[in-house]
Amino acid sequence: MASIKEQFEVPSKMKTWSMALIVIGVISFILGLITKGMSGDEQEKATFIGTLMYNSIFWMLICNASMFFICATTLAMGGWHTVIKRIPEAISTLVPVFGIITLVIFIYVVLIDRTASIYEWLDKDAVAKDHLLSGKSGFLNPAFFMIWSILAIGIWSILGHRMRKLSSEADEKPMDINTGKSYIWRNTVTAGLFIVWFALTIGSTVPWFWMMSLDAHWYSTMYSWYTFGSSFVTGMSLIALWLIYLKNKGYLGYANENHLHNIGIFIFAFSIFWTYLWFAQYMLIWYGNIPEETVYFKHRVQGAYKGIFFMNIIINFVCPLLILMKRSVKRNYTLMTFMAVLIIFGHWIDFYQMVMGSVRENEASLSWLDFGIASLFIGLMIHFTSRALAKKPLVSEYHPFLKESIAHHI
Amino acid sequence: MSLLRYESQLREPLVDGNKTYHDVTEDICRPIEGKPGKLWYIGFYISVALLLFGIYSVYREVVYGIGQWNVNHTVGWGWDITNFVWWVGIGHAGTLISAILLLFRQTWRNGVNRAAEAMTIFAVMCAGQFPVWHMGRVWNAFFVFPYPNSRGPLWPNFASPLMWDVFAISTYFTVSLLFWYSGLIPDFGTIRDRAKTKFRKFAYGIASFGWSGSTKHWQRLESLSLVLAGLATPLVLSVHTIVSFDFATSVIPGWHTTIFPPYFVAGAIFSGFAMVQTLLLVTRKVLGLQGYITLGHIEAMNKVIVLTGSIVGCAYLTELFMAFYSQNQYESYAFFYSRANFFSPYGWAYWGMMFCNVVSPQIFWFRKMRRNLWVTMFLSIVVNIGMWFERFVIIVTSLFRDYLPSSWPYYYSPSIWEIGFYVGTFGLFFTCYFLFSKYFPVIAIAEVKQILKVSGESYKEKMDKLEEEPVEEFAHAAAH
Repeated sequence: MASIKEQFEVPSKMKTWSMALIVIGVISFILGLITKGMSGDEQEKATFIGTLMYNSIFWMLICNASMFFICATTLAMGGWHTVIKRIPEAISTLVPVFGIITLVIFIYVVLIDRTASIYEWLDKDAVAKDHLLSGKSGFLNPAFFMIWSILAIGIWSILGHRMRKLSSEADEKPMDINTGKSYIWRNTVTAGLFIVWFALTIGSTVPWFWMMSLDAHWYSTMYSWYTFGSSFVTGMSLIALWLIYLKNKGYLGYANENHLHNIGIFIFAFSIFWTYLWFAQYMLIWYGNIPEETVYFKHRVQGAYKGIFFMNIIINFVCPLLILMKRSVKRNYTLMTFMAVLIIFGHWIDFYQMVMGSVRENEASLSWLDFGIASLFIGLMIHFTSRALAKKPLVSEYHPFLKESIAHHI
Repeated sequence: MSLLRYESQLREPLVDGNKTYHDVTEDICRPIEGKPGKLWYIGFYISVALLLFGIYSVYREVVYGIGQWNVNHTVGWGWDITNFVWWVGIGHAGTLISAILLLFRQTWRNGVNRAAEAMTIFAVMCAGQFPVWHMGRVWNAFFVFPYPNSRGPLWPNFASPLMWDVFAISTYFTVSLLFWYSGLIPDFGTIRDRAKTKFRKFAYGIASFGWSGSTKHWQRLESLSLVLAGLATPLVLSVHTIVSFDFATSVIPGWHTTIFPPYFVAGAIFSGFAMVQTLLLVTRKVLGLQGYITLGHIEAMNKVIVLTGSIVGCAYLTELFMAFYSQNQYESYAFFYSRANFFSPYGWAYWGMMFCNVVSPQIFWFRKMRRNLWVTMFLSIVVNIGMWFERFVIIVTSLFRDYLPSSWPYYYSPSIWEIGFYVGTFGLFFTCYFLFSKYFPVIAIAEVKQILKVSGESYKEKMDKLEEEPVEEFAHAAAH
């Protein structure tokens, strides 16, 4: 029988693995810096920076999706996730870590180097000659970009920290109905603030700044919601992987296939939701057939990114649709592991084509560098998540909805 | 002890008062078995009168032609399509409550789903009127159906979103109706078994399809519900998505934007919930169902309203931002001249929409407001006015100043028969709703009974022992 004081200890094997991944990542970074970053070739340099950018943005957003998940379920008065809540909490500790990495990259690109091969709007001469770009300069300018990015990441981190701190209170002493209600209420307030800020950043401005402005002339109102869809479904897959890992190691005695099933429902539903947004964006631009809009898809569908473009749909739509539809699959640890890994990879590819498809239009080269940099982020993610998991009990003993979560049946 | 469901005492009960299974049946069947009150008759006759006015308005349009309406160049779509989209939008809450909330296992849906689904069906019936009568030569309406015909190789245009609408809405209507009806069967069975008059026994006997309440019947009903819920879930999204395609596939400034599909769906759910609130606040009061449609239910729906209202607000601002960001002069004309400009001919509609849909629902961030019946009633009406404005803004402001300035001075306002048609659909809607509230159980009797022992007030109070039990023992009991 599971005991409540479940305390995770980071196995030495995990430490070794995460370190190995980080080392591989650092070596790739250095090699990339030498062979591409400092090669003098603008194109190569842009590839190097672009690779750093999409990786840092992608991994940060999917870790932030964990906090979004906690806040959304809190606001919806959800109870089922209480026994597994420490997993998304631990993952969300990565937001400031990856946030700093992302900001460092942005500081280099936007303030120090003003890399116009990444963001065309950084090139003052080009902007002056181009009335479209100069018209946008009220929004697309380095100062606004940096201030907004710092605010976005900073406030996610602060509110995330507050949510985690609140969560620790449920480890301390039993709550009666009144203290329980006020506890839930305080959670709701912070969660509400987070969701509002989330809508103002990931739901709108941040993807415009960071990624849509790579194609400075192009625009699509759907872009941010699409980015949200992509990062959220991946975030849920990451939670599923950690849940499965901990269950396999004998932790989380109260969690069972019902909880995994529920996460599976989220992954299935949001895979379809992502596809819905994908289709709506693509179809409307295709149907309207206005050159200013089709320019984004032209080289992605017909040029160098053709393979990746279709792979994106197959991995992120066809596979989840066909495989995750069945109830038994969502309750099967092996199949869910496979699907979670597949979906994380699939949406990583999605971010790859979103960023690199704009940075390097005529050539799609998924190379050792992409995987090397990804390994840096995965290593860091494993390292920090496992450390955060080990800091607190895996189950918050006095959470008012804990019993609901234990008795969760679907 | 096996524990199938458990609900924290922290959550407020979903059924108030010390109700037993028998009380539930009695309370919900009472209006059906008794005579309706005076208010019911007054309401019903007013609705029928409105409906008759609507029928006369449509008669004018059919006999004398579309010229009876003020739609003309350049505003070829006016009140009719505005009203069409508005009604379709309202028809979204029912299926969301019954399908998506079923999949999310939100048990509060059990108190409100029946009325919401009924409302959905009536709203879709109203919506369907507009495109049909707008055809002008309505006797050719069957041309929309693709079948091998005697008109030469003449098929409808499958590449047109208007054609997709025909399929989307008819599918939606069919599935919603089946879903609603299949849930009604056990309740009809209950009414039949209680019937004291021969006619009632006969009528509800037919309506309940020989329901016996056997395990086999329940099993089949449950699996049918789940399958229909699965089918209905994508339909919640697809219908308004395709309605949004009617606009977004074109290249008209203000219409062609990629965010339209999810934004229309959010808006539809928003207005649908507002309409559910309006109806249920009256229904629960008149029929004395406060124990089943509790303040908790109203609060939950108000939360959905503030959420969807904010999503819609986010989309409005995104559109407005992109009109600037794109630096496209036509987009910026549509948004900054025709819409967001208070002094343009239709500026009042845009700002009315912004106020009603984005600003006013924010009041629901406060718990006190969410649980205040008068505020809820007022806001639910404000929201529906706002959502009507939204469709009017989208349609009329994008059309009234097109690329040909010579046609600009024209200001579109509806004729009496256009207004009459709209009023008539209110008549249709409320006539149906009044009949529904008299002859149908407005709350799903069987489904409320399912949650009674978990969420019923008196039962929750008895849960003290479970609440105080140490977690380990609780977990042990839950697992065995």
